[in-house]
Amino acid sequence: MSAAMLEIKNLVKVYGTGKEAKRAVDDISLTIPQGSFFGLLGPNGAGKSTTIHCVTGIAQPTSGQILVGGIDVVSDYKQARTKVGLSPQEFNVDIFATPEQLMDYMGGYYGLRKAEREQRINELVARFDLEQHRNVKFQKLSGGLKRRAMLGRALIHTPDLLILDEPTAGVDVEQRHDLWNYLQEMNERGKTIILTSHYLEEIEHLCRDIAIINHGKIVASGTKQEFMRGGKSVEQAYLEITKGTKE
Amino acid sequence: MHTNWVGLFTMFRREVQRTLRVVIQTLVAPVVSAALYIFIFGFVIGSRIEDIGGVPFISFVFPGVLMLSIINASFSSASSALYFMRFTRGIEEILITPFSYLEMLLGFVGSAVTRALMVAFLILAVGVTFGAVELVHPLWFVGYIAAIAAIFAMLGIIVALWAESFEQLQVLNTFVITPLTYLGGIFYSISFLPETAALITRFNPFFYFADGVRSSMIGYSEANTMIGLMVIGGLVVGLAVLVTQLFKRGWKIRS
Repeated sequence: MSAAMLEIKNLVKVYGTGKEAKRAVDDISLTIPQGSFFGLLGPNGAGKSTTIHCVTGIAQPTSGQILVGGIDVVSDYKQARTKVGLSPQEFNVDIFATPEQLMDYMGGYYGLRKAEREQRINELVARFDLEQHRNVKFQKLSGGLKRRAMLGRALIHTPDLLILDEPTAGVDVEQRHDLWNYLQEMNERGKTIILTSHYLEEIEHLCRDIAIINHGKIVASGTKQEFMRGGKSVEQAYLEITKGTKE
Repeated sequence: MHTNWVGLFTMFRREVQRTLRVVIQTLVAPVVSAALYIFIFGFVIGSRIEDIGGVPFISFVFPGVLMLSIINASFSSASSALYFMRFTRGIEEILITPFSYLEMLLGFVGSAVTRALMVAFLILAVGVTFGAVELVHPLWFVGYIAAIAAIFAMLGIIVALWAESFEQLQVLNTFVITPLTYLGGIFYSISFLPETAALITRFNPFFYFADGVRSSMIGYSEANTMIGLMVIGGLVVGLAVLVTQLFKRGWKIRS
């Protein structure tokens, strides 16, 4: 059994206080081994993004512990953040910046020096076929190109753990398959990947392990084979589980 | 973990690039305004006003005009940058990367101070062409303008965190900063004021900002230097502690 890349222990995240309080994540525990390709599924508002936000530092956990590669994301947050790359669901970028600038700034924030950044940007631009668009403003890019720029930005510092929140939303079929190949390639080289997606065939194609969150709790987890037992697709299994856990 | 110097430099570099992207708004406009102030108050009106404490009126006014521009540049740079980052969720770029809360403070304040210093340098160049620039104590001058720019950058950060609309972003500037700046003696000597008004002015921190810059430039001072340094130093330290704590709590930026 490989060492854990991500350990979430009894994570609780409550938004608001008093009567307004909403328990977005309710005592989640999860261990994702190094080298895993992990699918995190759940309906909208189930707690997937909140969990990701707690791991990456965008949200502050109410209680519980999160370790990335054994490093606590709250008490040793600077060190932990160097290990994680995030491609978020929403385009949280300066829309007037170019893909090259976005990767350059992000690389700088992670402490990469100029020569390192340039080399890495050239690699990522080539890998994501962004050569012709590297100096085009983000706002002028198509949906697929925007997603590729976001992925490039998430990978600039070669993180050990890559978190992809809906990475292929708005991407056409050909580009989606190209991205899948790249993600598989990275995973084969040892990168741990957490993927959330509403395209369940994507999860079925890529992930080896899956967890489903609903109403802030993990309602099912296991290997893909376990979910697909009895000849079911991941989508069928997912629908059965989420319908069975409705409030 | 060691200080993220490359990250901090990247924040400064990004602000310079942002400043240059909207150069008319960020650099040209304040320089044009300052040039008009210098021309009107220094030459048109100033030529009819007697020297103040043996100093020509244009030399007396210029430090105040410079300070006004520095205040506007640093406040608007910090407040607009952070507010837009909140608005577009670009702040997440900073939250997920390895910056300590103190480094976040240094990054945002340093970026705003960088822009304010760019504006200050250009206005100094305009002042030189008008013959309005003297620099009696250059090191004190740099210290004063850097400290004042830092104070207003931190106020800009607080407002950017607090504001929920573009209108709110302007509230402090309109109702506090601008009146206190104009009433802080940037265009006049407090000796022109009645005794009570002069006394009230001494409770206005902007009076000490203007006086500090002026004394470092032309050697003329109307305030107690020690009080001025305590006011400025106290504000720098107090605001730095407050903003660092706000970042640590993640107020309005971390859910």
